[in-house]
Amino acid sequence: MDPVMPEPSAELGVSAPLIEPGHSYASVTDKISAIVLTRRTPRWWMLGFAAAFCLMMLLFFAVAYLFAVGVGIWGINIPVGWGFAIVNFVWWIGIGHAGTLISAILLLLRQQWRTSINRFAEAMTLFAVSCAGLFPVLHMGRPWLAYWLFPYPNTMGMWPQFRSPLVWDVFAVSTYATVSLLFWFVGLIPDLATLRDRSRNRVGKIMYGILAMGWRGSAVHWSRYETASLLLAGLATPLVVSVHTVVSFDFAVAIIPGWHTTIFPPYFVAGAIYSGFAMVMTLAIPIRAIYKLEDFITLRHLDNMAKIILATGLIVGYGYMMETFGAFYSADQYEKFMILNRMTGPYAPFYWALIACNIVMPQLLWFPAVRRSVVGLFVISLVVNVGMWLERFVIVVTSLHRDFLPSSWGMYYPTRWDWATYVGSIGLFLTLLLLFLRYLPMISIFEMRQLVSQTSGKTESRVSGNLDDV
Amino acid sequence: MTSPALLYERVEKFQQKFLIAGAIGLGLCAAGGFINPTQFFRSYLLAFIFWTGLALGCTAIVMLHHLTGGAWGFGIRRLLEAASRTFPLLAVLFLPLLFGLPRLYAWAQPETVAADPILQYKHFFLNKPFFLMRAALYFALWNLLAYLLSKWSAEQDAAGNAAVSRRFEALSGPGLIIYGFSVTFASIDWVMSLEPHWFSTLYGMMFMVSQVLLAMAFAIVIAMLLSDAPPISEAISPGQFHDLGNLLLAFTMLWAYLSFSQYLLVWAGNLQSEIPWYISRASGGWAAVAIFLIVFHFAVPFFLLLSRTVKRQMRSLAFVAGALIVMSLVDLFWLVTPAFHPQGPRVHWMDIVAPLGVGGIWMAAFLSQLKNRPLVPLHDPDFDLASFAAARLEGASGHGH
Repeated sequence: MDPVMPEPSAELGVSAPLIEPGHSYASVTDKISAIVLTRRTPRWWMLGFAAAFCLMMLLFFAVAYLFAVGVGIWGINIPVGWGFAIVNFVWWIGIGHAGTLISAILLLLRQQWRTSINRFAEAMTLFAVSCAGLFPVLHMGRPWLAYWLFPYPNTMGMWPQFRSPLVWDVFAVSTYATVSLLFWFVGLIPDLATLRDRSRNRVGKIMYGILAMGWRGSAVHWSRYETASLLLAGLATPLVVSVHTVVSFDFAVAIIPGWHTTIFPPYFVAGAIYSGFAMVMTLAIPIRAIYKLEDFITLRHLDNMAKIILATGLIVGYGYMMETFGAFYSADQYEKFMILNRMTGPYAPFYWALIACNIVMPQLLWFPAVRRSVVGLFVISLVVNVGMWLERFVIVVTSLHRDFLPSSWGMYYPTRWDWATYVGSIGLFLTLLLLFLRYLPMISIFEMRQLVSQTSGKTESRVSGNLDDV
Repeated sequence: MTSPALLYERVEKFQQKFLIAGAIGLGLCAAGGFINPTQFFRSYLLAFIFWTGLALGCTAIVMLHHLTGGAWGFGIRRLLEAASRTFPLLAVLFLPLLFGLPRLYAWAQPETVAADPILQYKHFFLNKPFFLMRAALYFALWNLLAYLLSKWSAEQDAAGNAAVSRRFEALSGPGLIIYGFSVTFASIDWVMSLEPHWFSTLYGMMFMVSQVLLAMAFAIVIAMLLSDAPPISEAISPGQFHDLGNLLLAFTMLWAYLSFSQYLLVWAGNLQSEIPWYISRASGGWAAVAIFLIVFHFAVPFFLLLSRTVKRQMRSLAFVAGALIVMSLVDLFWLVTPAFHPQGPRVHWMDIVAPLGVGGIWMAAFLSQLKNRPLVPLHDPDFDLASFAAARLEGASGHGH
């Protein structure tokens, strides 16, 4: 099928299909597992992997040089001590949030449309968190001493400062990475067993067999599986909110104008979900076109994600508005200057680009025609990704570069090493993602089979979809 | 099981009682106002904000439900809409405050402003004409939203045309944006500006969450009281109460999350411009109120609402919800009154009688709106009452997944 789908005549309401008609258990299993087991590795995958791998090598090169020389190779200095490293950290960690929201909260809310996108959204979370975790460690200057962040008994008489949100971050992010990995892996087990049973080469049988951990699909297994995934969903739900809240504390606990404002926690969480869904969309649209998965990732999925992007984008816009209004209402000259400096100072183009990307462009999503245009959605999702990166850049750099004392003002210019590390981290992300697409089922096979059985008889109605048993 | 006719009679009786109680309460407050006008306005402001917040929360939940759907909302939608039709009354109840602005707000006292450069700066926003214009705008917007939502519901009940559903969706998106903006600025105008030097960007969002929490608790209590007769008895099953309980839990958690975030950031910043607000509210006698709020507005309802048993039994859920309504008033008292008594809590008799008096009048208006319309949506294309009730009976024996 063409990536640009013909406009469906029906409204994309709740009765629109989550899976195109005509699928059976066998056809679902065949179609998804064939990507991993039998279909030839497509040429674009080879090309994409080569490109991503080169970028990843660029990251390794930049990191090696950083370790040899030190953080002086970056553009950071006084007053802007937090440059690209922190911008990228927040950007990547925000992107991860969509995966957790889809897999945990939408599971608890019994939103069936999550089924076909949750697996690769969770994978995306994991890879984004891996990229995010790199940056604060690289930023330390002496990354080999990163373990000092953990509270452990030592002879140096050292103990982390628990009043610092930077320490809370260590716990928030490492918990997040652990729970996300567990959630993803537990969800994979039944499908790994399917791959084990269908794999025709020995290596595949052994590898998938080890990873499937002896899954036989008995009733007891399924019952344990259900319990485990509900428990993990319950554990992961607070993480959707807590991780980015702690990230917002990194800024807001300080008293720098532009950082210290109480709206930050909810506005960071909304921004994280916003950028995360944009990234899911950026990835889902090409993947469904290339692997011909339009039957599984339907226009209704894209429509629902577009609505979530619109809603969270509006909350982010509310955050910008309150920041601006607050600065003027507060009567504080530093607060006022901070906003004016953002809007008219040396970094003003970034600020206005951010407003255009995050606030203006996504308003197109109010129109159903835009939500049904695959190309339009793809462009908007890319724009939002850029906008959210710019937002973190504006928050980090413009707040620091001109604070209370004009004598200590300065500018921040990223160096080629900053760019190399950033672009390289995208390479790492894409490398991991492409390996995932090649070697693991990117859509949950067994949950799609469940969906087949539920949608074959009747179309789901609003009344039956309740929040029961949460 | 009561018959609908008996129920109607009961509602009418309650309406009368509330009206009488409200008249007595407001009469007492009016008398108190002659003796101590400043205290009257302080207590009256508390009462007005509380009941307006309830009506606003109800309107917001109606719009949320139009956007998201879900079985939980159909049984309570008409109750919420009845509450939203009280905005004309609330606009009238706002009028007495016009006479008390200088008694309530430092920025409305010319001599205070003359001595305070910060208030002189803030005059562009905090001045009487602009304040009144904004209040008029809020009420115009709220009345418009409530009017359209109820009008289309009446059309839907009468004719059942499917186009109405689409109109609801088209209104609710922008409607929630209007709600967000107007509540934010109303909370700044009416409550935050009691301490005109202080500012928090999270404040408006906290008000929204408190309102929605209060409205959800109110809807649960009213639904429970009406649940021994058709049609509510058929429209709300234990499963739906469970859903409502989960939403109440979610709003309770959200309230705690926002309150904690604001506290933590102000405490950590410890800035001269911010910290006084918490110094008066979290030390001295007010600290006891703050701890009371943490325990009974968050911890206890949180643990109770985690329980499946509590949520599936109407009475126990309504008990928790009722307690949360009371705690919402305590919360508002803790937000408002330290502006007048920073040293410690002082409860004047009017602080109790004014909320009850305004509440009596408001409840009477709410019940009169409630009884004049069907109690559940009759022709919503997503909600078929007959098949819903049938499915419920079928599922009653083996519910749960």
